[in-house]
Amino acid sequence: MIRILLTGLAVMVGTLGITSETLADYPERNIEGIIQWGAGGATDNVARSLTPHVEKALDTDIVLNNRPGGTGVIGMNAVMHKPANGYTLLYGAENPQLYPVLDLASYDYSDMTPINIIGQGLVVIAAPADKDWDNLGDLLDYAHQHPGELRMGSTGKGGLPDTVLAMINSVDSLDVRNVTFGGDGPGITALLGGHIDFMPLSLAGAQEQIEAGRLKPLAVVAKEPVDALPDAPPITQALPEMESYLPWGPFWAVSVHKDTPDQIVKTLSEAYRKGVANREFQQFLKNNGAEPLNLQGEEARDFLKNWQSVTAWALENAGSAKVSPEELGIPKP
Amino acid sequence: MSQEKLLKPGERTFNLLLLVLSAGVLYEAYQISGFDLLNAPGAFPLILGMIMIIAMLVILAEQRHRSGTATSGVGNAAKQFIQCCCPREMTVFTAMAIIYLALLHPLGFLPATILFLFLSQLYLRSGKMMASGIITIITTIVIYALFKIIFQVYLP
Amino acid sequence: MPETVSYFLMAWTDPSLLLLTAAGTLAGIYVGALPGLSVTMATSILISFTFAWDINQALALIVGIYCGGVYGGSRTAILLNIPGAPSAVATSFDGYPLAQRGEVGQAIGLSTVMSVIGGLIGVLVLASVAPFLAEMSLQFAPRDYFLIAGLGLLLVGSLSAQSLARGIFAAALGGVIGLIGLDPVTAEPRFTLGFTNLMGGIHYVVVMIGMFGVAEALFQLHQLNAETVRQKVDRIVPSLNLVLKFLPLSIRTSIIGVIVGALPGTGGDIASLFAYDHAKRSVKNPAQPFGKGAYEGLVAPETANNAAVGGAYVPMLTLGMPGDAVTAIIIGALVIHGLNPGPMLMIQTPHIFWFTVGNLVLANLFLLIFGLTGIRIFARIVELPRAILIPTIMVLCVVGTYSLNSSMTEVYWMLGFGLVGYFMKIYGFQMGPVILGVILGPLMDKSYRQAMSSVGNDGTAFLLDLVTNPLSLILTSAVILLLLSNTPLRRVLSRRSR
Repeated sequence: MIRILLTGLAVMVGTLGITSETLADYPERNIEGIIQWGAGGATDNVARSLTPHVEKALDTDIVLNNRPGGTGVIGMNAVMHKPANGYTLLYGAENPQLYPVLDLASYDYSDMTPINIIGQGLVVIAAPADKDWDNLGDLLDYAHQHPGELRMGSTGKGGLPDTVLAMINSVDSLDVRNVTFGGDGPGITALLGGHIDFMPLSLAGAQEQIEAGRLKPLAVVAKEPVDALPDAPPITQALPEMESYLPWGPFWAVSVHKDTPDQIVKTLSEAYRKGVANREFQQFLKNNGAEPLNLQGEEARDFLKNWQSVTAWALENAGSAKVSPEELGIPKP
Repeated sequence: MSQEKLLKPGERTFNLLLLVLSAGVLYEAYQISGFDLLNAPGAFPLILGMIMIIAMLVILAEQRHRSGTATSGVGNAAKQFIQCCCPREMTVFTAMAIIYLALLHPLGFLPATILFLFLSQLYLRSGKMMASGIITIITTIVIYALFKIIFQVYLP
Repeated sequence: MPETVSYFLMAWTDPSLLLLTAAGTLAGIYVGALPGLSVTMATSILISFTFAWDINQALALIVGIYCGGVYGGSRTAILLNIPGAPSAVATSFDGYPLAQRGEVGQAIGLSTVMSVIGGLIGVLVLASVAPFLAEMSLQFAPRDYFLIAGLGLLLVGSLSAQSLARGIFAAALGGVIGLIGLDPVTAEPRFTLGFTNLMGGIHYVVVMIGMFGVAEALFQLHQLNAETVRQKVDRIVPSLNLVLKFLPLSIRTSIIGVIVGALPGTGGDIASLFAYDHAKRSVKNPAQPFGKGAYEGLVAPETANNAAVGGAYVPMLTLGMPGDAVTAIIIGALVIHGLNPGPMLMIQTPHIFWFTVGNLVLANLFLLIFGLTGIRIFARIVELPRAILIPTIMVLCVVGTYSLNSSMTEVYWMLGFGLVGYFMKIYGFQMGPVILGVILGPLMDKSYRQAMSSVGNDGTAFLLDLVTNPLSLILTSAVILLLLSNTPLRRVLSRRSR
C-alpha cells in the first residue's frame, strides 16, 4: 500500500546505470526540478501545482526538490553546475535578476535559458486593520512627520518588500525601520500581532487575511484597481510617479542550463506551454491574484530584460544598488 | 569517571586546537561587519567567538592543575594518543569511509555500498567471508528498498 | 452538535480515509526513523502526488505521516543514537543509554505510549482552545522569541554533564555552525570562507547525523569485540502503574509541547528540549540519573514533541498561518486544492477543522498499534555484532545525509562533523549542547536583530521593552530566575567560594 502510495512520482526503478542519452529520446528518465525557495512558499506552490500538468505533456516524472537559501542563490547555483542535458530544471522567482546589482552573485537569468515565464504576481502594501491610516497617502504623511519610526516587514536584501520600498524611495521618501523575517508567512504573523506597521506582500499570501478583515490593503502596486481586491487603491493614487515602473510584480519562471541543446529546450518549452495553459492551473493563478504570462523564447528574454532594467534602475535611484546597473550594462528603461 | 584527574593523551593539544579554531571564528566574525554589537550581521558571531575563547581558556586553566599521563618524548606521546584515541580499527574504518564517499559518484550507489559494507565487515570481523557477504547483500537491499524505491530519494 | 461529530468521525467511517491515515502513520514512522528523511520532505512530495485527489484524502495521509514521523524519530534515537528527526534529539539523551542497558523493548514501548498520550493532549488542546491559543501566540513579538531562545540556551546547564565550560563551548560552537551562510537580513556571507556551497548554510540535520550517528559509531569501534547487550524483550507494553506514575510529568510536558508548537517561530525540536530540561529540574530522584537512562528523560521529550503536532495545527487552522514547516506545506496543499486557508477557513469550511481533529486522534491510535508491534525485531538490530552494525550505520548516515539535498558536499561535511564529534566525545564534550546551539543560535540571532530593528537600533529602548511589556516581563523574569537559581551561576559561585 505505502509502496504504491509513495511511489507516486514513480521512477523507472533501478535506473542506476547511466544510459546513453540521445537527443531524440529526451526525456527518457526522470527530471529533477530544483525550487529556489522553501516548501510552502509562493514559488513552491506554483511549482507544485504546475508540475503535474507538465509531467503529463512530457510523459515523464519531474521530481521536485527545494533548495532554498541565500535569496535563491543556492538553488540557482546548483542548477548551473549540473550537466546541460535538460535533466535539471530551475523553478525560480524574480530574485536572480537582482543578484548582480545587489552583489549577491555575478549571474542572473541571462546566464540560463528561459523555458517559461509562468506568471506575474500582484503586490499589495498591507497594514494591521487597527492602524489609523487607510491608504498609502496617510502612511506617507505619517512617515514624513515621524521619519524612521514606522516598522516595515522585510524579507531581506533582494526580497520583495525591500524592492518595493526602494521603488517608493526613488520617487518619494519613506524612512522606515526594516524588520527582516524569513518570508511572507512570518511577516504576516508579525503584522497580525501588531509587531510591525506595514509590509509589501504578494497578494497571494495576504488576500485571505485582508478578506477576513485582519489586514487592510493600503495600496496595490498597479495602475488601476485590481479585480481580486477592488477596494484597494492603486499605488499611483498616492504616488503618480510610480506609473513609469508599472506594470510590475514578482514573477515565476522555469529555466535550464545555458548550454542545453536546442532540441531539448524546444521539447521542454512546448510541454511547459501546455502545462501553464491548463485550465486548472490558470484558475489556480487567478485565485492567487496572479496574472498568467506563459512566455517563451524571445518573448521571455525580453520580459526578463525589461523587468531587470526597470527594477535595477529603481534600486539605483533609491540608492539601494550595491553595483550600479550602468556598470553592469543594464540599459535604462 | 575514575580518570577525571588525569589528562587524556592529546587532550591538551586538542583543546589548544579548539582554541585556535575559536580565534579563527572570532577573526572571521570580525571580518563580517567590524566591531558592532548593536544590530549587525557580525554581532552574534563576535559574541559567540568570544564565548568560545573564554570557555576554552577556562577549560585550559582547569587542566593546568591536572597532570597528563606520564610520557617521555614525542614518540611516546603519539603512541599513547593512538592507543587511546585512534585505535587502528577507527583509523582504518574512517579511511574506508572516506574512500567510500569518494567512490560513490564514480561507481554509483550500489557497487560502492556493497564494496564498502563487505570490505569493512570483512576487516572488522577479521574474516568470515560468507557471513559478511550475505549480510552485505541484505543490508544493501533493505537500505536501497527503503530509500530509493519506497521513499523516492535520489541516490548517487 | 451533530455536524461536528460527523465531521470528527469522517476519517473513522470512510474506509479509504481510514486506510490512508493508517498507511500514512506507518510510512511516517519510517520517514521519521530514517535519518535524513523528514516529514517536511515527505509531505511536500505528497503534495504534487495527491494533486488529483480529494482534499480530505490528501489531508488524511499528511496527518498520518506527520504524527508517525514525529514519533518515528525516537526509534533510531533509542536504537542507534541517531535522532531520526531534530525533535528526537532529546530522546537520545536517555533513550540510547536505555538501549545500552538492554532495555530497548521497554524504552520503545514507553516512548510509544507516551507519544500517544502527548499527541492526544495536543489534540485536546487544539479542539478546545485553538482560537484562544492562536491569538496568544500572535502576541509573541521578536523580543519574546529572543527571550525564549535565551531560556533555551540556559539548558546548556542541564545538558553538559560534568564540565560547564565544555558545555558552553560546545553550545557556542553549535551557534557558529548554525550561523554559517548568508545573513538573512543583509545577505552578507558569514563564516562561508568564500565557498558558494556554504552560502545556504549547513543543514542542522547534517550536523546531527554526523555528531550523533557517526561519532557514536566510531566511538563504538573501541569496544568492537565486547559482547553486545542482550535485550530484555519480555515486557514491552509499559504497565499501567508505570504510565500512571509518569502521567503528571507527561501532562506538564505535553502542555509545554503544545504551547511551544503553537508559536509560529518554534516547533517540536525546541519543545522537546524544553520538556527534557523541565523533567530534569522537576524530577528530583529518578530511578536512574538523567543521561544514564532515566525513564523521565524519555517521557518528557516524547510527550512534548507529539503534543507539538497539535500545537502546530493551532495557528494553521484558526488563522491560516503556519505553525511550522509541515503546516506551511499543508497550507500550500489547501491552496492547490482550491481552498482558502485563512482566518475564514473555520467559517467557510468548518469541516476541515473537525475532520483534522478527528483524524489526528485516529492517527494517534494507529501510532499506538504500529508503535507497539515489531519492537522485538528492532531490539534484535541492537544485538547485532558491532562489526556489522557500525558499517551499516555509516551507510545509513551517508544515504540519509545525501537524501536531504542530493549534495555530496553535505555528506563530506557530515563525516567531518562525525570526526570532530568523535574527538570531542573522547575529550569529555557533550553533543547535546552543540545541537542546542545549532537550533537556537540562528533563532536568537534573528529575533535579536528583529527586535533591535523594531526599536530603531536603540539599545536602551530594547532593554526597556523587555521589562515593560507584560509577556516579555514574564519571560525576562523566567530567564533571570533560572540564571540565579540554576546550575550555571550557582556552580560558578560555589566554586569561587570553595
